[in-house]
Amino acid sequence: MSEPNTEVLTADVSTDGTIIVVGDIDMAGGPVLETAILSREAAIAANEGDKRDVTIDLELVSFIDSSGLRSLLGAMRRASERDGRVVLRSVGPEVARLLEITGTVDHFTIESRRG
Amino acid sequence: MADRSAVTAAPTIGPVHLTMPADPSLSRVARLAASGVASLSGFTIDEIEDIKVAVSEVMVALIEHGAQQPLTVTFQADGPRFTVRGTTAIDHFDTEHPDLLLCRTVLAAVCASHGIDVVDSGAEIWATIEQSPR
Repeated sequence: MSEPNTEVLTADVSTDGTIIVVGDIDMAGGPVLETAILSREAAIAANEGDKRDVTIDLELVSFIDSSGLRSLLGAMRRASERDGRVVLRSVGPEVARLLEITGTVDHFTIESRRG
Repeated sequence: MADRSAVTAAPTIGPVHLTMPADPSLSRVARLAASGVASLSGFTIDEIEDIKVAVSEVMVALIEHGAQQPLTVTFQADGPRFTVRGTTAIDHFDTEHPDLLLCRTVLAAVCASHGIDVVDSGAEIWATIEQSPR
């Protein structure tokens, strides 16, 4: 019998360095995303000094709340400190709406939207 | 002028009470339960998305700013109005904490009204979402 899927969110780094997020970015998922972002930032600092951006693919994210948004805002602040950006890819309407109502949409680079 | 009489036919469901530990992973459970109640009450998909956000923000406020004691979340659909109400014990509740202000900004955007009441050793956070006229 297979193990039940209790993972609330996964955030894996692809071969090109993009963080692929799957699931809800909420109180439980935010720390998972935060860990992936910090890992990516460490790789940038160690090996890829010419690359400063963190790219996050949100194709499979259909929910985010303020606690999840804080993880993205933290990444944005750190990116600014190294003259980099947080690039959001395949942003769905739920994420876009939260960014807009909190007035934070301009802090991120929206590469593409869906829906 | 919009005719609001059409939306008053929506059924009254609840109150539905959920009591749970202050576990962040249970926020999703609360959202799912709220979605079910709202769906039965005739709320649209967009309205249900707002309800899910409101429930999640109430959970954020209770868990991140409460005393890690069990919390109770109550849902009630009453005609065109859906109310989520959460309570928990608190040691200290800083209503001006920046994280809580972000939470309230979201609640203000998706809800018709919301509030945080601190009484004695407890906090109650409530939010109301209203159906748009049909």
